Amino acid sequence: MKIIHCPVIGPRPLTEFTVVGVSAPEPEDLGGMSPGAWVFNRDSVPMERTEWWYHGATQLWFKVRRHTGADRIVGVELARANKNG
Amino acid sequence: MSLRLLKYAFIEDYAEPRYFNTPDSLGDSYDVVIIGAGGHGLACAYYLARDHGIHNVAVLEKGYIGGGNTGRNTTIIRSNYLTPEGVRFYDASLSLFRDLSAELEINLFYSERGHYTLAHSDATLRTARWRAEVNKHLGVDSELVGEEHIARACPELRQDCGGNHPILGALYHAPGAVARHDAVAWGYGRKASQAGVEIHQKTEVVGIETQGGRVSGVVTNRGTIHTSTVLSAVAGHTPGVLKMLGLSSPIEIYPLQACVTEPIKPWLDTIIVSGSLHLYISQSSRGEMVMGASLDPMELHSRRSTFEFVSSLCDQVLDLFPFLSEVKINRQWAGMVDMTPDFAPIMGTTPVAGFFLDAGWGTWGFKATPISGKTMANTIATGQNDELITSFNLSRFEDFQLVGEKGAAAVGH
Repeated sequence: MKIIHCPVIGPRPLTEFTVVGVSAPEPEDLGGMSPGAWVFNRDSVPMERTEWWYHGATQLWFKVRRHTGADRIVGVELARANKNG
Repeated sequence: MSLRLLKYAFIEDYAEPRYFNTPDSLGDSYDVVIIGAGGHGLACAYYLARDHGIHNVAVLEKGYIGGGNTGRNTTIIRSNYLTPEGVRFYDASLSLFRDLSAELEINLFYSERGHYTLAHSDATLRTARWRAEVNKHLGVDSELVGEEHIARACPELRQDCGGNHPILGALYHAPGAVARHDAVAWGYGRKASQAGVEIHQKTEVVGIETQGGRVSGVVTNRGTIHTSTVLSAVAGHTPGVLKMLGLSSPIEIYPLQACVTEPIKPWLDTIIVSGSLHLYISQSSRGEMVMGASLDPMELHSRRSTFEFVSSLCDQVLDLFPFLSEVKINRQWAGMVDMTPDFAPIMGTTPVAGFFLDAGWGTWGFKATPISGKTMANTIATGQNDELITSFNLSRFEDFQLVGEKGAAAVGH
């Protein structure tokens, strides 16, 4: 079982998470790209990227840096630092 | 033992005729270059030669024939889809499959088993009825059946499902079949090869050249080829091929895993699928239970297998067939699949003249092997999308004209 080492909640098995998708800032304008292309097109080649991961048991969101070719997690951080620590 | 085999016991030099030609070197130019020697690519090469008289064709394969998803699927063939365009397309494939062993002169072990999609909830039952009605309207043999019918077909199935998600009914599709998947690639490859098509294994495409918006050549690890027509029939690497031409698509690559048990006595003569439990199971002619589940939970460009897959699949299988608990898993493997947002393929012409696409085959590609080869051959020969595939063009995403086949996916993804 793959174990993900997370801040706050410690080591957790992969099956406790939902991988929601890539985390990328929304552009101010599409710069000539059609709306259809913006909505649907993906760049699905092996790369290192940041993704949203949701941990159901604690309802915490994480930003996970992962290499999609090597199946390797590079870094995990809380999506938003908790104000109450 | 067959006489043919016995003969070899007495002959010293008994080389079997090779299935495919193995040309020493790449030619300088071809009329058509097909990337990917899986079932789809080889079928297209065969129909180009048979139906359109185009013989000067090279099929380039990075690995070996049928070593991608053609040899990694769970071999289920069915046409009980949800959309009319899907049903027509897959049913044409099923018709071709029925005569394929004779046509390719190879035993595909094509075996009609009957296909049950179990419904464990009202929502699934509703989709099953919808699919049955669309199917019947288009002349495809599908019907909604109840507990007694399922019990007659598969008395071993525990319909209360351990009390967790009792079965309410099923979509029954009598023509549902299984076949020997490698043989489909070998059969098409041999026939294409006999018609003059060159198959180059261990030949990786690293670039596609264009001139004035038209395809002009293909760059490989063994040299450059001149051609005006290229078909990409790869799986798991389509975005990389598209990138060579500056094209984009909605395809995302996910691993899909499957496994087989040790061989046991024949007991399951139907194909059982449960979307709610995320599993499909049938018994191969060797006696192994062939089992698969839904996609891995995240995009990944790798064919690694995981323990998470096999443990969660077994957990679900035991809800239906508790007596399998003593049976061992023999092998597991994974394939990289092209997922599309509407669970339909991406086929036909592209914005680059001379570049054709047969991609986006997600988890539903094997059953479409004959018809995709035939329609792509027609599309390449005429330069116009075959009428069976017009709904599957790459342009549908730009135009927000999606196909909506998700309800007919074997298991929830």
